[in-house]
Amino acid sequence: MEKSRKKLSFRTMWKIHGIIFVSPFLIGFIAFFLVPLANTVFYSLNTVGVGDQGGMTFEWNGIQNYLDLFRTEVTTSNTTMVRLFTEENTTMLISLPLIVVFSLFMALLANRKFKGRAVVRLLFFLPIILGIDVVINMLTITVGASGGLDTGSNLLAGSYVTIFLVRTLNVPMRVLYPIMTYVENIFDLISQAGVQTLVYLTALQSISPSLYEVAKMEGATAYETFWKVTIPSIMNITFFVVIYTIVDLFLKSSIATEAYSFAFKQGKIGTGSALSVVYMLNVILVLAIAALLLRKVVKKNEK
Amino acid sequence: MKNKRKQKYSEVDASLAIYLFQKKSKKTMVNFFSLVLILGLCFTIVYPILSLVPVIFSSIEDLGNPNVIWIPEEFSTVSFKAAVRLVMPQGIMTMVWSVLYAVGIMILQVFFSAMVGYSLARVKFWGRGIVFGMVILVFLIPRQSLLLAQYIDFVHFNPLGIMKLFTAAGEVNLINNPVVLVMLAIFGFGVNQSLFIFLFSQFFKNIPKELEEASLIDGCGFYRTYFKIMLPNAVPIISTVGILSFVWNYGDTYYTNYFNPDGSYLSTLLSSTFVTANKEYILRALTTWYEVPVATDLAFDAVKQAAVLIFLVPLLIVYLIGQRKLVENMENSGLVG
Repeated sequence: MEKSRKKLSFRTMWKIHGIIFVSPFLIGFIAFFLVPLANTVFYSLNTVGVGDQGGMTFEWNGIQNYLDLFRTEVTTSNTTMVRLFTEENTTMLISLPLIVVFSLFMALLANRKFKGRAVVRLLFFLPIILGIDVVINMLTITVGASGGLDTGSNLLAGSYVTIFLVRTLNVPMRVLYPIMTYVENIFDLISQAGVQTLVYLTALQSISPSLYEVAKMEGATAYETFWKVTIPSIMNITFFVVIYTIVDLFLKSSIATEAYSFAFKQGKIGTGSALSVVYMLNVILVLAIAALLLRKVVKKNEK
Repeated sequence: MKNKRKQKYSEVDASLAIYLFQKKSKKTMVNFFSLVLILGLCFTIVYPILSLVPVIFSSIEDLGNPNVIWIPEEFSTVSFKAAVRLVMPQGIMTMVWSVLYAVGIMILQVFFSAMVGYSLARVKFWGRGIVFGMVILVFLIPRQSLLLAQYIDFVHFNPLGIMKLFTAAGEVNLINNPVVLVMLAIFGFGVNQSLFIFLFSQFFKNIPKELEEASLIDGCGFYRTYFKIMLPNAVPIISTVGILSFVWNYGDTYYTNYFNPDGSYLSTLLSSTFVTANKEYILRALTTWYEVPVATDLAFDAVKQAAVLIFLVPLLIVYLIGQRKLVENMENSGLVG
C-alpha cells in the first residue's frame, strides 16, 4: 500500500515536471496568441479611437468594419480588397503545386548517386539562405528592361537554343513564350523550395532499400518503382510539405502590411483588425481544403 | 549434340549482349540527362550571386559599359565601401551585433523549444493532446494576422495589471525595446518557433524508452534525466534547429521591423536603406563621397548588391559549416517515417 502510493506520487510529480516544462509555451500562448486573437476580433467589431488621456476608446458598430473593408476601402496600391484576396489566393494555388513537385524533383535528383554529390547538395540547399525575404528583395534589380531579378534565365530569350527552335524547327513564338516565362521564373520557384527539398531528401533516404530490391526482383520498371514504391512512401511527408508550403506562402503575402497601414498610417484600427480576421479565416479555409483533399490521397496510397 | 548446345549458347550470348548493351546505353542516357538537369539547376541557383560579382567590383563609371560582361575593366571597391558606409553605421560592429542577436535568440529558441518538445513527447501529463494542438494551431495561423493586436498589447504592456506596481502610468511601452524579442523567444513565439517545437517533439518520440528508465534506475530525477541524458542525445536535432533558427533570425525583418524599428539589425537596415525612395539620396552620397562624376541607377543597384553580399557572409559561413550535417540530422529528426 505504502509502495503503490509512493509510485503514484512519483508519477504525478513526473507529470507536474512535464507541465513546468511546457509552461513557458502556455504562458506565451495566452499572452501572445489568445489575448491578441480575442483583441483582434474585438477591435474588428468596434470603432477604435484615441481617448483624451491617451488610452483607447471603443464604440460598438457590429460588422460595419467588415462592410467598409470590402465596399469602400482600398489597398495602398489602390485596388479593392476583393481583388487583393483573389490575387493572393490565385498566386498561391498556382505556386503551391509547382513548389511541391519541384522540391520533390530536386530531392530526387540530389538523391542519385554520382560523383560530386556533396557539392551539388551544397548548392541545392543554398535556397534556404537565398530564399530569405530580404535577400530576394535586395537581389532584385531596379533598372533594366525586365526590372526583376537577373536570374540568368533571360539568357534563354536570345540564346542559340531559342533561335534554333524558332528558325530551324519553326516552333511558333506563341508556344515558346509561355514556356520561356516559366523558365524565367524558375529561380523564384527554387528560392521557395529550400526547406521542402531538404525534407523530401531525408524522406527519400529513409525509404528502406529492401523495398527497391523487391521491386527489382519482381521485374518492375523504373517508372513502376517510382509510382508504386517511392510515391506511397513519401505520401505522409507530402502532407507536411504541402501544409508547410501553404503557411510559408501566406507568411509572405502582403496582406499584413495592408493591415498595418490601415491601423497605424490611416488610424483605422478597427478596419485593420477586420482585415486580419478575414485573412486568418482565408488561411484556415485553404488549409482545411488542402488537408481534406490530401487525406483522401494519402489514404488511397496507404491501401 | 555438343555443337548444337554451343550454338544455342552463342545465341543466348548474343541476345544477352544486346540486352546488356541496351540496358547500359539506357543507363548512360538517364545519367546524362540527370547530369544536365543537375548542372542546369546548380547554374540557376548560383547565377544570381555570380552575376553580382562583376557589377560590384567594377568602378561606377564602368557600369552599363556594354564591353564589360564578366571581367571589369577597372577593379574597384567603391560599391563595397559605399555599402558598408550606408548600412553599417557602426562599421563591422553592426554586423557583429546582428550576428550576436541572432545567436542569442537562437540559443533561447533552441533551449525553450527543446523543453516543450521533450515534455510533449515523453511526459504523459494531463491535456497533452490539447497543448500539442495549440502548437500546431500557432504554426498554422500566420503571425501577421495577430500583429496588430500584439503591437497594441506591447504599446500598452500591462500583464495582469501588475505594471501598476512599478510605474505611475500603469503600463509600459515596450515597442523599440529588445526585451520584446527576447520575451517572444522565451515564451515560444519567436520566428517559426512552433515548427521547432514540433520538430523537437517528433525527435524525442523516437528516443528509446530504455534510456529514460536506465537513468531513473540510476537515481536521476526528472531534470537530471533531461539535461544529462536527453539533451546530449538530441545533438542532431539541436544543430538542425539551431542552423534554421540562426538563418531565420538573422534574416528576419518582421519582428525586428515592427517591434524594434530603431534597432540596428543588418536585415532591417538593409531593407530600409535600399528602398526606391532613397535612390536619389544614395546616388548623391555616392557622387560626393567618392568623387564619382555621374552615378546612374546602375550604381544604386551595384551598391545594393554589394550590401547583400556583405549581409550574406555570416549566413554562408554558418551554412558551409552546418550543411553537411543538415541532411543526416533531418533523417534522425523523426519527421519522416
